[in-house]
Amino acid sequence: MKLLNKTIRSYLVYSSIILLITIPLFYVVVRHVLLHAVDHSLKSQMREIRNNLSSIHSKQELEIWAGLDKDISLYTEPGPASDSIYTRYVTNPRHHRDEDPYREIAGTISVNGQSYKLVISSSLVENEDLLGSIMIVQAILLILLMTGILWINRRTSKKIWMPFYSLLNEMQHYDLNKNNELTLKSSRISEFNELNQVIKNLLNRNYEIYLQQKEFTENASHEMQTPLAIIQGQLELLMQTVPLTEDQAVLISELEASIQRLIRLNKSLLLLTRIENNEYAPAATADIEEILVAQLDSFHDYLEKRKIRRVEKFEARPVAQCNIALMEILISNLVSNAIRHNITGGTLLVETGPGFVTISNTGIDKPLDAQKVFNRFYKESSDTASIGLGLAIVKRICDMYKFQLSYVFDAHMHFFTVRF
Amino acid sequence: MKILIIEDQKELLKSMVGYLESENYLCETAEDFQTARQKIEGFDYDCILLDVTLPGGNGLTLLHELKKDKKADGVIIISAKDSISDRIQGLNLGADDYLVKPFHLSELNARISAVIRRRYFDGQNLLTFNELVIDLLAKTVFVNGKPVDLTRKEYELLLYLASNKNKVVSKMAIAEHLSGDGAEIFDNFDFIYTHMKNLKKKLSLGGYRDNIRSLYAIGYKFEV
Repeated sequence: MKLLNKTIRSYLVYSSIILLITIPLFYVVVRHVLLHAVDHSLKSQMREIRNNLSSIHSKQELEIWAGLDKDISLYTEPGPASDSIYTRYVTNPRHHRDEDPYREIAGTISVNGQSYKLVISSSLVENEDLLGSIMIVQAILLILLMTGILWINRRTSKKIWMPFYSLLNEMQHYDLNKNNELTLKSSRISEFNELNQVIKNLLNRNYEIYLQQKEFTENASHEMQTPLAIIQGQLELLMQTVPLTEDQAVLISELEASIQRLIRLNKSLLLLTRIENNEYAPAATADIEEILVAQLDSFHDYLEKRKIRRVEKFEARPVAQCNIALMEILISNLVSNAIRHNITGGTLLVETGPGFVTISNTGIDKPLDAQKVFNRFYKESSDTASIGLGLAIVKRICDMYKFQLSYVFDAHMHFFTVRF
Repeated sequence: MKILIIEDQKELLKSMVGYLESENYLCETAEDFQTARQKIEGFDYDCILLDVTLPGGNGLTLLHELKKDKKADGVIIISAKDSISDRIQGLNLGADDYLVKPFHLSELNARISAVIRRRYFDGQNLLTFNELVIDLLAKTVFVNGKPVDLTRKEYELLLYLASNKNKVVSKMAIAEHLSGDGAEIFDNFDFIYTHMKNLKKKLSLGGYRDNIRSLYAIGYKFEV
């Protein structure tokens, strides 16, 4: 749930409850007050009539007086001992369905010793209309008030939280590799300013650590080159010594193999750091097929020796915008990977199509862990010549140029596809 | 042949000197920028091995000065930097070759011989080992005057061994040399055996006695 919705939701629930309770309550109260006023008026009318009865002296006079006011009815039978007030519904002759409510007071008056029942009625239709109008105005006012409050609340919340959202947005687009400076809006709210500052400091610290680590890898790899060169040189001198026994020869050969492995590992690490440092910036148009064929040819000896069938399906001539040397490394790594993990008498299939190249090979007959296959130092086989950085380098190059790299195992073949 | 090795790492310097002196080169050394500059100004060398990062200055400055003075010394840059821009910069300044550390001494030796040959044997690039003659320009091989039909790889293999004659050359160094710069190397050297077998067969068919000795586990030695 969004932050703004969350705060407003409580307001909304509260407002609705208040609205639902107040409108009927208001209705009941106003109706009661109005009725009370009518009753009061009826009672005082009755009192007035009784007080003025002394001026009426005959039955005729009484009937004439009663006939003057259509709200007053006079009956010759005696009325209730004490005044009673009630509501009566009378069918409206004009609207057959409607029953108009009337409030009536019935009491007993005596003229010349004769008791009469006197009923004074007052129409409640106007009151009902008034009540209806009051209720509508009331409801409109309440709804306006609530929506206004909600709207103002939402607007202020949005304004208040704006630094937060801009910070969120900046963070989402932050790339440690580029360390693009965050452009954070300063706010009048000190907490947000503090948050901005804290995040800036955190990112700067992280970036420094990241730089230090990168620098460390680079320096370590560089520093290792000289001792490695020395060891290799000394080994070659050792090979020239006479006499050289067979045991010594085996030892030297094994040493050299290890040194070579270390040298390759070191070179790969250097390459990775250089890619991460964007040292291969200038992009050009790389002809994938041309690079692919050149790389396959350079592996000709290995393919032949291991009787690996080379199958080419070139259907389009894809090009990619990238550094040519990096594309060569990418293709070379994929091809050498497909040869290294192949089986004797297996197949190496290369395919190109519009905007993609696929390099696939036979090998172990089960899928590799697609999550880990591009990780550094991930190894499926025990091939000692494999240092486990080839595919990591491929991945890094693809990431750099936003190429899509995917791995699929299908029909006993491992497929590695790069989409440009 | 006189070689100046400019390198600040003593042990590396020592192993280079050791290998090259046994090839009958006269080696002089410089371990810092100033010494190197004095030696370059004072003497002529057939080949200068130049490290780029030196105490007291950049090796490329020396190369620049050398070319400005129109000196004809061959220069091979030896650098820990192997990015393409570094290579191009070095070669544009007039270096004859660029070798990335760490390297095989046999590779260094082969490159030095190539540089020196290019400078001194214009037009008649012939290497003669008794009845075996290698024509470097035409890239052909003759045994007793008759041409031997070698593949490109077999020719390169023979030339590499010949450049390091009487030296043990490891399989690794051969594999790296034949695969070219930056090529992926597998731990499988079977293809070298095949090339070697074919090379030996072709040479002996022409009547050349087998001078390429195989050393158990390590590599090969071309004996003259």
